[in-house]
Amino acid sequence: MADQLYLENIDEFVTDQNKIVTYKWLSYTLGVHVNQAKQMLYDYVERKRKENSGAQLHVTYLVSGSFIQNGHSCHKVAVVREDKLEAVKSKLAVTASIHVYSIQKAMLKDSGPLFNTDYDILKSNLQNCSKFSAIQCAAAVPRVPAESSSSRKFEQSNLQASNETPANNELTTNGHGPPPSKQVSQQPKGIMGMFASKAATKTQDTNKETKTEAKEVTNASSAGSKAPGKGNMMSNFFGKAAMNKLKVNLDSEQPVKEEKIVEQPPVSVTEPKLATPADLKKSSKKAEPVKMQQKEKKCNRGKRIELSDDETKETGNVKKKRRRIKLPQSDSSEDEVIPDSPGTYEAESPSPPPPISPPSDPVPKTEPEPSSVKNSSGENKRKRKRVLKSKTFVDIEGCIAQIQIVSSKLPSVWSWGFSSAAQHLPGKHEALSSSPVPKKPKQQQRKGTKCIIYVGIIFMM
Amino acid sequence: MTTLTRQDLNFGQVVADVLCEFLEVAVHLILYVREVYPVGIFQKRKKYNVPVQMSCHPELNQYIQDTLHCVKPLLEKFCPGWAITVSPAAVLGPGWEPAILSSQPGPLSPKNDVEKVVVVILDKEHRPVEKFVFEITQPPLLSISSDSLLSHVEQLLRAFILKISVCDAVLDHNPPGCTFTVLVHTREAATRNMEKIQVIKDFPWILADEQDVHMHDPRLIPLKTMTSDILKMQLYVEERAHKSS
Repeated sequence: MADQLYLENIDEFVTDQNKIVTYKWLSYTLGVHVNQAKQMLYDYVERKRKENSGAQLHVTYLVSGSFIQNGHSCHKVAVVREDKLEAVKSKLAVTASIHVYSIQKAMLKDSGPLFNTDYDILKSNLQNCSKFSAIQCAAAVPRVPAESSSSRKFEQSNLQASNETPANNELTTNGHGPPPSKQVSQQPKGIMGMFASKAATKTQDTNKETKTEAKEVTNASSAGSKAPGKGNMMSNFFGKAAMNKLKVNLDSEQPVKEEKIVEQPPVSVTEPKLATPADLKKSSKKAEPVKMQQKEKKCNRGKRIELSDDETKETGNVKKKRRRIKLPQSDSSEDEVIPDSPGTYEAESPSPPPPISPPSDPVPKTEPEPSSVKNSSGENKRKRKRVLKSKTFVDIEGCIAQIQIVSSKLPSVWSWGFSSAAQHLPGKHEALSSSPVPKKPKQQQRKGTKCIIYVGIIFMM
Repeated sequence: MTTLTRQDLNFGQVVADVLCEFLEVAVHLILYVREVYPVGIFQKRKKYNVPVQMSCHPELNQYIQDTLHCVKPLLEKFCPGWAITVSPAAVLGPGWEPAILSSQPGPLSPKNDVEKVVVVILDKEHRPVEKFVFEITQPPLLSISSDSLLSHVEQLLRAFILKISVCDAVLDHNPPGCTFTVLVHTREAATRNMEKIQVIKDFPWILADEQDVHMHDPRLIPLKTMTSDILKMQLYVEERAHKSS
């Protein structure tokens, strides 16, 4: 009775729906073992042929056996049409097996439709593709997660090596050649070989990630397992910068994912140039060593920057250096340490508006600093003076004016090092003030560092 | 009718690209399966992750490409209208049809410049024996946002390819010496848009003849239908009852 139902199903597929019914497709569709599906197809063909109902049936067979080619014995597996079956059988030294591969109404001109038939059904059953399979290996057991990471790299290197081997080896070394996994990777050539290797590595990654997920209990682990996958996808779209950002976020949120983080490239916190306060300090610290390297007198300067970051007072010895620091920062070419008199200070005043634009951001503050380091000391002095006297500073709203006044102590808002310098130039303090705000810094000269810094921040925001 | 926005244009371009690629593959496969040209000029290629047959003949390939290149702008637009049938003025030569002129009023095109694309196989007397009709309509819900959209469409197009491969079982054999041509059912206004591209490509289209469009005593054999977020398409074959006569 059950057999009758199966036969009716096959009849419907082949005759009514004009489908190509392969044993693999039938096995998945009816949920039976592949050997049973083969038997069912054979039974159907025999019955139809006996009935001689006139229904047009074309059958393909899978033949396998030992084949002698150029003196070498190899195992040959071929899908042949019914009309060529006898010819192929006669060429085989020993016929190991013959079974029905597919049944269809139309006579196929090539094997393309056979592959097409199995492609979608296999793709939809990828998770249990061996459920009805007769291929078994007792040694094939799931891997331990600890070995997965090390074995993944080993397999990747193997795949790369196997892709390089010539494809000719497949024909002559079948049965004597490398293991099937490598043979599969050898088959695609050129561009298709690239796709095969990529797909293989990706599937390995996903498989191993799923295994590690099974052993991690926390939710963070599951989210983290998705993140590397997402990171792999996103890296293709957005590139390295986005990947680094992702990894920074991952590291801050989920410190547990050691395995996956280890596999990924190390995260560099200073690389992403984000205009955030956290990054600002880090970038400023990055700028500091640059300054240190470029100029001799910068050692104090670097300390000054750190001090200013920490909002501490600066000593009087730093006066002259602070003045120098002012101008380059305002010009975005700052960061020189030049012990000059106020005369040179004025000469630099006509420095143009360009310094205004960078001041609008806290990040460019620190960035221009290293660039300014490269300029000569004499040029820096002049620039400083220009900056201080520039109207553009005045044009900008009260904050800037205030900064200028304070810039006698703080040459510009954007240089942390200016804060202490400003305290020692009370003369400039009065000359530049034009807004009511400057009075405050007068009273708070020594506290000006903090006030100025705050003002600067407010302005920039 | 909503106005065309930038997103609509991109949507139309996506649909047009997908359709033109598919139609090129389908035309090559029809020529292979129906033995319009010798099997020797075809070689196995890969499309939608499955093997397909494609011609190696450069002029034939160029003809098919030019044909679909002119059709592409029509596929990019989705507008109401009525249909006329045009066919490409092919290069005169063995196996290819000369230019055909005619106009044929048709039903209102459902919001698409292209109502259908037809691959017509003609016998030696230039009478159609088979017509592979690709009816293209706008899907009920236009959407391009799904993540798995293109893989789903690819799967559906694979099914079309498979159906064309086995259409031999439901069709009669064609007489020897057959030729083919491509017809496009579209709007009159659309043909004016096509003229620009025709001039650029030097590939003129003409209105199709009545005799080339109408088939005597046709038999309808549906092959496949598909509905997706970006495309709704139906493939059926109109076959002449007595091919050898």
